[in-house]
Amino acid sequence: MSDTSLPKPRSEMGETMHHLLRDPLGLVGLVIVTLIVGSALLAPWIAPYDPIAMNIPDRLQGPSAAHLLGTDQIGRDTFSRVIWGGRVALQVALPTIGGAVAIGLILGMAAGYGPKWLDTLIVLFFDTLRSFPTVMFALAVVALVGPSLNTVILVIMATSIPTYGRVVRTLTQSLKEAEFITAERALGASTLRIMGVHLLPNVLGPLAVLAAMDIPTVVGLEAGLSFLGMGVRPPTPSWGSLLNDGYSLIRNTPWLIIAGGIPLILTTIGFTFLGEALRDVVDPKLRGKGGK
Amino acid sequence: MNNPNISWTKVGLPRRAFLQGATALGGMAAAGMMFPRAAHATEGTLRTRTYADIRSMDPAFSQGVVDEEIQGAIYNKLIQYTPGRDWGWQLDAAAMIEQVDDTHINFALRDDIGFTNGFGAMTAEDVKFSFERIIDDALESTNRPDWGPLSHVEVTGERTGTIVLNNAFQPLWSITLPYIAGNIVSKNAFESVGGRIETEVVASSGPYMHAGWEPGQRTTLRRNPDWRGTPAAYEEIQIFHIDDERSAEIAFEAGELDFTRVSLDSVGRLRSNPIDGATLEEFPSLYYVWVGMNLDNPALQSLELRQAIQYAIDVPSIMEGAYYGVAQPSTGIIAPGLSGHREASLTGVSANMERAMELMAASGERNVSLTIDVLNKSTNVTTAQIIQANLAAIGISLDIRLHEAAAFWELGSDESMQLVLNRYSMTPDPYYATSWFITEQAGIWNWERFRSEEFDALHLAAQSEGDAEARAEMYRRAQDLMEESGAYKFLTHEATPVIYRNSVAPALRPDGLPIYRYFGTA
Repeated sequence: MSDTSLPKPRSEMGETMHHLLRDPLGLVGLVIVTLIVGSALLAPWIAPYDPIAMNIPDRLQGPSAAHLLGTDQIGRDTFSRVIWGGRVALQVALPTIGGAVAIGLILGMAAGYGPKWLDTLIVLFFDTLRSFPTVMFALAVVALVGPSLNTVILVIMATSIPTYGRVVRTLTQSLKEAEFITAERALGASTLRIMGVHLLPNVLGPLAVLAAMDIPTVVGLEAGLSFLGMGVRPPTPSWGSLLNDGYSLIRNTPWLIIAGGIPLILTTIGFTFLGEALRDVVDPKLRGKGGK
Repeated sequence: MNNPNISWTKVGLPRRAFLQGATALGGMAAAGMMFPRAAHATEGTLRTRTYADIRSMDPAFSQGVVDEEIQGAIYNKLIQYTPGRDWGWQLDAAAMIEQVDDTHINFALRDDIGFTNGFGAMTAEDVKFSFERIIDDALESTNRPDWGPLSHVEVTGERTGTIVLNNAFQPLWSITLPYIAGNIVSKNAFESVGGRIETEVVASSGPYMHAGWEPGQRTTLRRNPDWRGTPAAYEEIQIFHIDDERSAEIAFEAGELDFTRVSLDSVGRLRSNPIDGATLEEFPSLYYVWVGMNLDNPALQSLELRQAIQYAIDVPSIMEGAYYGVAQPSTGIIAPGLSGHREASLTGVSANMERAMELMAASGERNVSLTIDVLNKSTNVTTAQIIQANLAAIGISLDIRLHEAAAFWELGSDESMQLVLNRYSMTPDPYYATSWFITEQAGIWNWERFRSEEFDALHLAAQSEGDAEARAEMYRRAQDLMEESGAYKFLTHEATPVIYRNSVAPALRPDGLPIYRYFGTA
């Protein structure tokens, strides 16, 4: 008897990749995200020019072989600034989302699994944070402490925590009465073990989907703040500051605003497609239905 | 008083007529008829743009150019600026005016000027009231300094009088009489409303009357039928509040405006692709832009370090990169064409990196990190980035701190401020420029905390110096002192490009600001 006819079971990662690659939108998303992340990581090697090096005699040039996306008002290469701008976008998005997910996870699980008073307290905290419109809150904080990359990260992280916390709380509440948790409890498992070993793996999947789909929002927010001059400090290139430069010259040199806008559009499309596909993979009800 | 030349127009409407008019206007607005079409652009209506809304129609509380553009059309002054490329003045309400000595100016009013709404003919009492109320401590006029050493106005006849000063005051002819503080209002009208007004005009006397104000939208001036001077060219002037210059350009190109200032970055495009039926003109501005260094800041105590910064900044690069080649480098705070303008600055216009490096070495400073505070506007941010690159070349790391307008204009009292990119407005007399840099102003408008007894003495003496060349030399020396302190690097006076339809004959000051009362049709 031979067992070679049986397919080798895939790992969870392999299973996820398999489903992603079979979903056309997921594939497109994956390619775009890989391009964006890859170009950001490899910026020092693939950007043709120093993104902050001025060359005023060559200012406001149109696209050419020397400058694929032209130059800005002080002669900096726009393509290089777009590439490096991606790095800033990820520098904001990854710690922001990572921090918000981590804090939201802890608080959400504590609220969902803990006593009622703790739940009430944490939900009140979430509601208070959510009551501030993100952009207005960001503008107020930046006006008080001054614009910087760290300020942007902290502000967006703070306002994103409730989104993840509420999802985790709801999932935890629905899971804590599940039979396998009751059984664990009956067997004398500690609260930490139940939360860490049994609840955590069950909430991570949906959280990852949510985080992926939030990345364009955070990138857009950073771009918005930089567009208003409240984001990263000059001369650091960011897609938002490219848009700002482009806006003031929109009638003279439209390619500047196009150069700032395209990566934002691609980021939104890429991460949204990827997030949608991941949701299909993570949600057993949608798996095999193409998410429809 | 008998004055057959004048009949009095009432702007006020009976309540019923007002309601009928308001209903009709509401209907028009609903039908989308409020904005006149381009085809009506020159049929008796001039449509222009202002960058801010009006704040006061009271000359004692006028906030500057925006208010004065309207007040200059509805009130009269003894003298007005002459439109054109050179600064000068011409008679307005005065039939005659002469300086008899350092402190006495005699005037005689024309006999054909009166105030609307039945407030009678303009008399010397109105002149006395208008000028003296501004120096009245009880009124707390924000424009008190414009009247300098005014003592009082002596009324010598129904339309004659003498302005009496405590001491000689040369700016009287360039920034007092022909500008905000020189507007003559009706004593009777102002007293009827308690002595001061806000944005409602009680009586006009100029070629135009104030006919309406829609906050945040527009001010409407209408031809004053009782005006006996050179007739107003337009039945109506509509001044739209459009903050953004680019929006104003679009409105102009769409035929919704007849005159507007345009942004510096549009000049190149408008030069190479002129708009049909329109003319672009460029005027030098009086504004002055500079990099200031806080002399009280511990990081800037070395004169050599400050001088290294002065020499490292390359102004021509800033003119190209931030001002699109439209503005010219400046040599100080006093613009060309004004008394006291310097032909050259002490530290030059182009960067002198060799000298800057020598000074850096002499300063003994290493690993210098400084901040520059900047108002968050595109031109300023670009300027700051060029300066950042210039200073990096001599080993100074410069952190650019952007601020919104409200936060920026509070920085004067911030002792931790190091470098600042600043820009002040200016009137056509050097006295106005040096006023902000005297010791008394340190930490108020003198953000550099520049303190010089010689400078203060020059500022004081130049106010009353009657010899034009001696006065000019005083202001030149004052600017030398500023620059020698190492606290200033002068950048530019900017420029004022304007565009107007060829059907309009604009009347502009030498700095490109409009004098609507003299606008005509071409």
